[in-house]
Amino acid sequence: MSDVTDTTHDASTRPITSRRDPRYEVVMYRHVGVEGAHTLDYYRSHGGYEAARKALSQMSPSQVIDEVKASKLRGRGGAGFPTGVKWSFMPPVDGRQRLLVVNADESEPGSFKDRYIMEDDPHQLIEGMIIGCYAIQATKGMVYIRGEYVKGYERLVGAIREARQAGLLGRNVLGTDVEVDITVHRGAGAYICGEETALMNSLEGLRGNPRLKPPFPAQAGVYGLPTTINNVTTMTSVVHIVSRGADWFASMGTEDSKGTKLYQVSGPVERPGVYELPMGATFRELIYDLAGGPKEPAKGFFPGGSSTPPLPWTDEYLDLPMTYDAMAKSGSMLGTGGVIVIPREKDIVSAMYNVVRFYAHESCGKCTPCREGIATWLPKMYQKLLAGLGTREDLSLIEDMVRNNRGTAFCPLADACAMPVQASFKWFRDEYEYIVDNGKPMYTKSDWWQA
Amino acid sequence: MKVHINDVAMDFPQGTSVIDAIFAAGYDVPYFCSQEYMSPIGACRMCLARIGAPRKDKEGGWILDEATGEPKIFTFPNMMATCTTQVMEGMVVDTLSEDVKRIQSGMVEFTLINHPLDCPVCDKGGACELQDRSYEYGTGVSRFEFDKRHQEKHHPLSEVITLDRERCIHCKRCVRYFEEVPGDNVLDFIERGGHTYIGTFDPGLPSNFTGNITDICPVGALLDATSRFRGRNWEYKHIRTTGMDDASGSAIMVDGRTGRIERIKAALNPDINKTWIDDGTRFGHEYADAPDRLTTPLLRKDGELKAATWEEAAAFITERLGGMSGKDVGIAIRADATLEEGVAAKALAEALGTGQLDHAPRPAASVIPAQDPATFTDLATSDGILVVGDVTEEVPIADLRIKDAMKGVTPPELMPHGVPIADLRLKEHPQLKRAILTVAAPYRVDLMKHAGQTVRYPAGGEAALFGALTKLAEHGGERVDGEPAGEGQAGASLDDGERAALGMPYEDAAALVRRLKDAERAVVVYGGFVLATRAAAEAANAFAKAVQAKVMILGPMADSYGLELLNVGPSHERYAYPAMLTEAKALILSNLDPGQDPDVRRALQDKELLVVHDSFLTDSASVADVVLPAKSVYERDGTTVNLEGRFLGVHAASVESGESEDFVGLVGRLGEALGQRLEGRSVRSARRVLRKRFELDPAELSPAGRLYRPKTRRQARVAIVSHEAFDGNLLVTPSMVRIEYLTRNPHLERVVEGARLRMHPDDAALNGVADGDAVRLRVGGVLRRAVVREDDTVPPGLMLLPCLPDQPVGLVQADLTTLTREERALEVAG
Repeated sequence: MSDVTDTTHDASTRPITSRRDPRYEVVMYRHVGVEGAHTLDYYRSHGGYEAARKALSQMSPSQVIDEVKASKLRGRGGAGFPTGVKWSFMPPVDGRQRLLVVNADESEPGSFKDRYIMEDDPHQLIEGMIIGCYAIQATKGMVYIRGEYVKGYERLVGAIREARQAGLLGRNVLGTDVEVDITVHRGAGAYICGEETALMNSLEGLRGNPRLKPPFPAQAGVYGLPTTINNVTTMTSVVHIVSRGADWFASMGTEDSKGTKLYQVSGPVERPGVYELPMGATFRELIYDLAGGPKEPAKGFFPGGSSTPPLPWTDEYLDLPMTYDAMAKSGSMLGTGGVIVIPREKDIVSAMYNVVRFYAHESCGKCTPCREGIATWLPKMYQKLLAGLGTREDLSLIEDMVRNNRGTAFCPLADACAMPVQASFKWFRDEYEYIVDNGKPMYTKSDWWQA
Repeated sequence: MKVHINDVAMDFPQGTSVIDAIFAAGYDVPYFCSQEYMSPIGACRMCLARIGAPRKDKEGGWILDEATGEPKIFTFPNMMATCTTQVMEGMVVDTLSEDVKRIQSGMVEFTLINHPLDCPVCDKGGACELQDRSYEYGTGVSRFEFDKRHQEKHHPLSEVITLDRERCIHCKRCVRYFEEVPGDNVLDFIERGGHTYIGTFDPGLPSNFTGNITDICPVGALLDATSRFRGRNWEYKHIRTTGMDDASGSAIMVDGRTGRIERIKAALNPDINKTWIDDGTRFGHEYADAPDRLTTPLLRKDGELKAATWEEAAAFITERLGGMSGKDVGIAIRADATLEEGVAAKALAEALGTGQLDHAPRPAASVIPAQDPATFTDLATSDGILVVGDVTEEVPIADLRIKDAMKGVTPPELMPHGVPIADLRLKEHPQLKRAILTVAAPYRVDLMKHAGQTVRYPAGGEAALFGALTKLAEHGGERVDGEPAGEGQAGASLDDGERAALGMPYEDAAALVRRLKDAERAVVVYGGFVLATRAAAEAANAFAKAVQAKVMILGPMADSYGLELLNVGPSHERYAYPAMLTEAKALILSNLDPGQDPDVRRALQDKELLVVHDSFLTDSASVADVVLPAKSVYERDGTTVNLEGRFLGVHAASVESGESEDFVGLVGRLGEALGQRLEGRSVRSARRVLRKRFELDPAELSPAGRLYRPKTRRQARVAIVSHEAFDGNLLVTPSMVRIEYLTRNPHLERVVEGARLRMHPDDAALNGVADGDAVRLRVGGVLRRAVVREDDTVPPGLMLLPCLPDQPVGLVQADLTTLTREERALEVAG
């Protein structure tokens, strides 16, 4: 069942929602995997920095914002907020330093699209940041990259140095009177620092705890200054929107989810990895056509990272288009588009314990429901189930406990754990009941670390 | 804006938090992380409620409910933390439905998961917010059956505060307190998630205001070490009274049990100390229960002091007095005596016919400003402050009120339930407006680290500093390019001496003057260093007048202002204290110990009569003819007047101290023996005098106290002999911790590590002493015991030593030839 909106029967004006469509072209990921693609010379010889030149010399900042608005680009970090609208939240220029922060923390399990951009195509990110800084009239860009991405950090810093030497960053970008410079800040191993307000606290040197909103970053961000925060591939999308036009971008995707997007597949499939697709493509196309399909029978999948509720492996869900609206209607979320395939032989209780352990470890500890519920109680409940000591009452207890975690915590991390747990109960309750009734899991395969 | 809390509709100003609206409406929700006078953060998630509000459409009108025609209420998708949500027009708040109750009990259950079942051994039991909220909002049973996390228990965070990390519920009140109130960031969370615990990087919490965290901690994680395991909260008798350790008049709660004071906590006074007290006031109570307290009068018989009755002692005194002229008797009381004790002293002096009456320490200059004194509220809302001295030691609460001014948040309006629980104007990590504060002192003081401008002037240079500043102020404070002003040129010309006296570059001084003049509510704060000479005080007052600033004077002790107001003073300069010690033939001294100077002690022995009224057998008492046991500051009923001129009630806690009396009781007893009904023979009779004199009733004073502003000019006070040219090699400095009781306050003694004699390392080498040495030194004659502290921020050639009532703040001469290390017998042998 496809959610493609057919405005006419004319094939040339129908939106592009599949890689099979001959009009579709991979633009963001075309250099990834190519030896030497991270250098300035390579990037330039493939049309690099022409979009930035166009924006800085032929458009005004507000025209750039309008173009991004018209493209209907939605943020690629998981929340899917319209980027042009977010940029227009910045207050009028008033003399205070303005900042563009790029969230390269990428700690969502199942997401690894930003990594290869920074490793193999850092100049694409830099170009996007130049355009973004120009649009919101910020002279400083800051990249917050997760500490674990060492290669990405080194490549990015190297690329910035190249860009500075070539006059692409600094006082007079591309010979104009626009000033943009970029610094890179490494994180130190906290998923919560991917949450934008905790990221800002971390940038300031404070504990990585989220902040109250309001005030929003545009009003009071890093050091209280007007700040816009975007994901890595939101910035790279901007490069192509400026280069080829909002109409081109909007010609791909569905009514609510436009453009080209990087999706990821992990788990036991033939070809796990990152795949660029137009929005509106289905899970089936991603998992089977591009990733070669599962290597063994599968029973479910996370559609967009471990924070999104898992869905069963049925035609109904596999044929859903990978868009924000379709996913919301299905009872899950698109998130970062990082599909994680759950093989049948992986007991769901064990799989969910793995997920819960992650959130327990990453909880920042600020608020009570997450610190005590998610980080302390929930993993212990799963340990009890997996030790064969669980009871039916324990299942009700888990369900009650995560219900108390829904919507009560300070930030969405608790929901990011609670919702998948609830979905696992909805779709795979039989496995939970089996383990408490029999004292051992329904699926006992446990040696998963195999090539 | 109109808000509906359950079935109650009320109006609230914009910016009110929903939790305050709820309490104002008479309902309640649980909360742990909110705290009066601190930022709301929404961390504990206990205060969640179901909230809805109407919305406006594009045209600006309310979206209406089709059925009722009223504005439609859109319920927020999630429950909202009421502490961080502002009221909106037409908002509807539900705190009673089953949904809300379920979440409340869910949050209680979560909070209790890792909390140890310590109630039977935890000092907080009975006064514990977690106990109370669990009882009110929990289900009574926890379903958590696993091992709780284990952390360090009874960790000594400092000498006076114990931390139990397991009990912590991570409300962050202590962390935010330190950052937002004194601005000393000494505590923080360490680690994350379920492993988070409270810790510190600086050993021993370096701050004068650490004890307040034991008040605000909602559980028994942070506890007062002086009262650890001393009693259960419901056994304590709580007496609200006024702290008498400094001139602030801070409200305190004295917790006592079985005739002992176990603990002092802060009490609320929004106009003075809000809900904070300093560590000297809080932890300095142990001396009241010291085992060597005098409990009976002592009479010298056959050369030895022996226990006697009050009748015997009073008869002895009366008999001796009968053999001499009354005018040869000197009477001196300490400056933290109550007004009633002042009345009693005056009555006794009048009955004896002597003009030798005084209270001590009494500085050379008046502690009552000529214009109405600045109040703490004036200080807290000021936009330009000059501090001369060390306010953090002298009147610590003034330091906190200055920081209020720097945060730029005016005192909150009180609501029906009192101080707002969640004042949304307060934010975490507040930015202080440092530019409004200038701190000047002869050495580095703590407040300097927050000031926009700091000035180090030479010790004793207060008169010259203010003189130069006044000159600048009167000439418009305009800079004249460093050159003397020419003919017809606007600008001040300062000679080289005046420039040197500034302790700062000319431009900075001119900027300071300009800043204070431009300020609409400027305040000049000064204390003992300026009060030490008339010249300095006059110069300071002239400066304040020139820049149109209010003045706040930090008097030496709790009732300095009141006793001066009452004119408890001599009829002539030569009868003032300490001059009366030589002048009088008989002396009645209350809580003063001039015998700490060995020469004075010898002279005292020759007096015809020496009566010492004190709580302990001091140096003076040991040579007295009569020693009378004195009540401590906690045991007196009376009235005191703080540095604002505010009358405050003092209420006695019950302390087992034998037959101790305050000076009112002493005068009552003496009066009986003399056969006279003296005014001030009882608190009630003393109050008759006060009622008449001040037109207010001390017995009817509200806890907030009452500002007194006289309608007529006061009579001139008789000054003490003062040195106009101030010289010396040692600066006696103000001290939050009372040195006279240090050895009997063992916890505080460990905090400050003894009376510190601070000196530059070069001076230490010159004098053959080293950091940590216990030493003796004659300072202005007084024999002082101290511990050497080498400190390279102390100017070479000057030493610093904290004050005593008998050695007030100011420059004195220390005889360095008498500086000797206290050797212990073992050391000498080894």
